[in-house]
Amino acid sequence: MTSIQMPQLGETIVEGTILKWLKREGDAVARDEPLFEISTDKVDTEVPSPVAGTVTKILVDEGATVPVGTALMEISEAGAAASGDAAASGDAAASGDAAASGDGATSSGDAAASGDAASSPASGAAPTTEPTPEPSGGAASSEGSSAAPPPAAVTPPAAPAVPAAPAAPVAPAAAASVPAAVATVPDRGPRSQILSPLVRRLAKEHDLDLAQIAGTGSGGRITKADVMAVISSGGQVAPATAGATAPVTAPAQPMPAPSAGIGEEIVPVSHIRRAIAEHMLASTQTSARAWTMVEVNVDHLVKLRERIKATFQERYGLKITYLPMVVRATVDALLEYPDVNARLDGDNIVRHRFVNMGIAVSYDAGLIVPVIKGADGMNTIGVARAIADLAARARSHQLRPDEVQGATFTITNPGPYGSVASVPIINQPNVGILSFDAIVKRPVVIDDAIAIRSMVNISMSWDHRVIDGEAATRFLARVKENLETWDFAEDLGV
Amino acid sequence: MPLPAWLIRPGTVPYDVANAAMHRLAERRLADEIPDTVILLEHPPVFTAGRRAKVDELLWSPDEVEARGGLVRMIDRGGSFTFHGPGQLVGYPILGLGSRPDAVDYLRRLEEAVIGICADVGVASDRRADVQTGVWVGDDKICAIGVRLMRARVTLHGFALNCETDLSWFRGIVACGLPDRGQTSISAQLGRRVDVSDVLPLAERHLAEVFDLSFEPAPDEIVTAFQVADAV
Repeated sequence: MTSIQMPQLGETIVEGTILKWLKREGDAVARDEPLFEISTDKVDTEVPSPVAGTVTKILVDEGATVPVGTALMEISEAGAAASGDAAASGDAAASGDAAASGDGATSSGDAAASGDAASSPASGAAPTTEPTPEPSGGAASSEGSSAAPPPAAVTPPAAPAVPAAPAAPVAPAAAASVPAAVATVPDRGPRSQILSPLVRRLAKEHDLDLAQIAGTGSGGRITKADVMAVISSGGQVAPATAGATAPVTAPAQPMPAPSAGIGEEIVPVSHIRRAIAEHMLASTQTSARAWTMVEVNVDHLVKLRERIKATFQERYGLKITYLPMVVRATVDALLEYPDVNARLDGDNIVRHRFVNMGIAVSYDAGLIVPVIKGADGMNTIGVARAIADLAARARSHQLRPDEVQGATFTITNPGPYGSVASVPIINQPNVGILSFDAIVKRPVVIDDAIAIRSMVNISMSWDHRVIDGEAATRFLARVKENLETWDFAEDLGV
Repeated sequence: MPLPAWLIRPGTVPYDVANAAMHRLAERRLADEIPDTVILLEHPPVFTAGRRAKVDELLWSPDEVEARGGLVRMIDRGGSFTFHGPGQLVGYPILGLGSRPDAVDYLRRLEEAVIGICADVGVASDRRADVQTGVWVGDDKICAIGVRLMRARVTLHGFALNCETDLSWFRGIVACGLPDRGQTSISAQLGRRVDVSDVLPLAERHLAEVFDLSFEPAPDEIVTAFQVADAV
């Protein structure tokens, strides 16, 4: 059993994201066949299998970001070994080797270094390559392939003796065959002969033989510090164990895989979740958020909806909800108060003469804000259709890129879940976001009498950099007035 | 001692043609059939989205991009959206990183080469470790970098250095996922025209130095893969 871990593609890389599994549990894999794709900062890569065998277990979901060294997949080599595949048994030797060399963190380094040793006789063009002190068994890992061993970190199998034992007789033959498997093109790893121009210049100026300098950089590369150490010691080449003058850089320790405590569950952060987090945090760090709320009497809208919902459904094939009415009322207020329908661009406030209304929609992956383009040109039926269409396609992941950008204002609608007041975070670069919460029956005072009415709180988080409390409140008062006084029956065509 | 490597300079190549040819070369490099190879070219206008691009970072609608004569392509490199177009030197090094690939080291070397190119024409540029991979002049990016490794050891994609790029194209995207950063070019920095042909020889020299390569022209059959004009 070989455990495949998140490989470390560079010393400073601490985590990677699984973009895609290319193999499923039960799939057979050949050695060097891509297993999955990962993404780290600016680099994406396929990760090839270090062994031939069968995928027995996938341990991490697609989209998960995990620390380097996290176990991702298990591959059973039994199937391939049983088929008598010589290459496969050679591979088994390689993994046995890694197991013998110690813990998981260093085994990948050892496997890679042994590849270096194997390739150095092949790369005649690389005279400065330092012999890598690896057990000869390591050379067997490159048997049958001039390609270097893959970098996927290999966890020692639980019982290394099992795969190693049958492979042992193969090893000498494999080692002998290495010189024959001459690579036509030498590998170009970050080995000692790859030198920065600075190092080359320093060495030349001080007439140093670089082949005699022990490199402490990644992959044994000679760094400026190595050369400087030699120069400062009077040109005396330091012994290979140059630890005294330049500490050997230890391979970065992979972060431990997260482990769940008792009563805990580990859930990796999805790409969407992370994008939302960044977006929200950036907004709070950018805007000067203030918040205002108005109470709206929507008694007549509740009655209207009760009266028309069957007809509306029949006529338009849609359920009528309050949200399209709120959108219409808000669009009107935005056109009246253009500073709310705007964005801040450096020293300028850009007012939009149209309304692209963002509607926050929750779906399985998180939150997305599809945009009703040109909402100012729609009646309530048009808005209702647009919302139904965008929400359905958002939830089935069918939105096109241009349908989630360009909002000039945003409405969020947590009411169905029961909230009566919310303080949303502004959807940048909008000036405001309006929250439409739950409609509840409440006792209200009307003309010095107490009456029961359907009431709703409508509130707005707004950016004090662009507008002030007066504009925000006047804007909300306009939304309130529209909702309380408009007769939507005609607009709804029923 | 520098390793022999092939250099391909096919001029302006449609994105899809170059992308396909580059992938074929990487497959062959992986199989050790060819040496390290560097492609230096220009593209007609195209927005490319890496795997980390977010859906809302393309600010123009696909129709709008098309109306301006551009394309949008979702591709397999790291990074977010970027733009390629006339006046931009695009470099695709197809290098074997060997048995112990250090992707970060590779990115740093690409940056080093580009910083060297910029210095030669008189533009002081630098890395911005606090922001993102790439080469910057102050807060403005002059060269975007995004790469992919095939089987974790052969490099694909690469860098895009703005020489006299029409920077207004970058308004169509949130370039590299960074809404608050601008773009610049060598010409914009110097206030005079510096085109791709001025920069090509410098790129050749700096890439050779940084990666320790000795360039020779690639064989004709390799080069012709980039010259299929109607294969878009």
